[in-house]
Amino acid sequence: MSSQSAFAEALLAEEVVCPPGLATWNGSAPGKRFAVYRNNVIVSLIDALADSFPVTQELVGEQFFRALARQFVRAAPPRSPVLALYGDGFAEFIEAFPAATGVPYLADVARMELLRVQAWHAADADALTPDEIARLLGDPAALPDARLILHPSVRLLRSPYAVVSLWAAHQSESAALALAAVDPAQAETALVLRNVLDVEISAIAEGPATFILNLQQGVAFGQAAGQALAADAGFDLAASLGLLIRGGVLAGVEFPGSTHS
Amino acid sequence: MNKPMTAAALAIALGTAMTIAATPVAAQTADKEKCYGVALKGKNDCKAGAGTSCAGTSKIDHQGNAWSMVPKGSCEQTASKTSPTGKGQLAEFKEKKA
Repeated sequence: MSSQSAFAEALLAEEVVCPPGLATWNGSAPGKRFAVYRNNVIVSLIDALADSFPVTQELVGEQFFRALARQFVRAAPPRSPVLALYGDGFAEFIEAFPAATGVPYLADVARMELLRVQAWHAADADALTPDEIARLLGDPAALPDARLILHPSVRLLRSPYAVVSLWAAHQSESAALALAAVDPAQAETALVLRNVLDVEISAIAEGPATFILNLQQGVAFGQAAGQALAADAGFDLAASLGLLIRGGVLAGVEFPGSTHS
Repeated sequence: MNKPMTAAALAIALGTAMTIAATPVAAQTADKEKCYGVALKGKNDCKAGAGTSCAGTSKIDHQGNAWSMVPKGSCEQTASKTSPTGKGQLAEFKEKKA
């Protein structure tokens, strides 16, 4: 084992064990200095999780959250130097965390908060302008086979819990009051998207969810709309398209054989 | 495989969608507004995950370039001791000396 991997392993070990071969510039005990460094590493990663998962933290309280985060940091340290995106797998970790079983929706709230961070950092894409959309209407026959391209920030989460309402309640000043009105066991599908510089989260019905998932998978416009109608008889295509256009996430159109955006 | 929607239905929906999208967003989401100069030190809003957060970074009370989300219409009613108008503002401003 290289000295680097020994050092890295010691940072995350349960007990403080000073890796061999460390020396200090002023002759102080290397073990003590190492313990300080190790503590900073773990605490800064816990802080990073607290930044990215604010509602998850509010749901269980800071003390519980930090204990949970500490175990996650040990089990799954960052694999990328991009700290902003740290937290992949946190929701799955929460699901398997015995002490969190009393809060069954916690993992999905964390899952949604990760999507929110991802949406924030997703690549940019220009939305179609009203003129470009109007031009599509000039050739309706081409519409069923057209592929609608969505903004890279668009993400969906289907949850058996009221993730969006729970999250929204925590955005208000009087979270306790707003929370009282939420039934956590109400299933919700979250649509997460970035509209220019703002990440927006909304709850959407099964129809729009099916429609958006199909579009993301490259299914043609006509077929995607048909699937959505089959999944949800109340599917309102105009309202769904309006949602995407207003959110600035209808980012392009491709026609089979040629491209155009 | 389900039946795809017809070209005509798609075109009508797209046309309607443009009208929906063109109506002011105000009715849907904007019951809040960004209000500059009313947040107490370290209590400003804005958060986008670890490493990017500018929330809670304001250095003084009522800092002119730090904002909070407040209920729509209330911003310019809120007292700000640093604001030249004496109230919160919808755009950033340079603080006057308190």
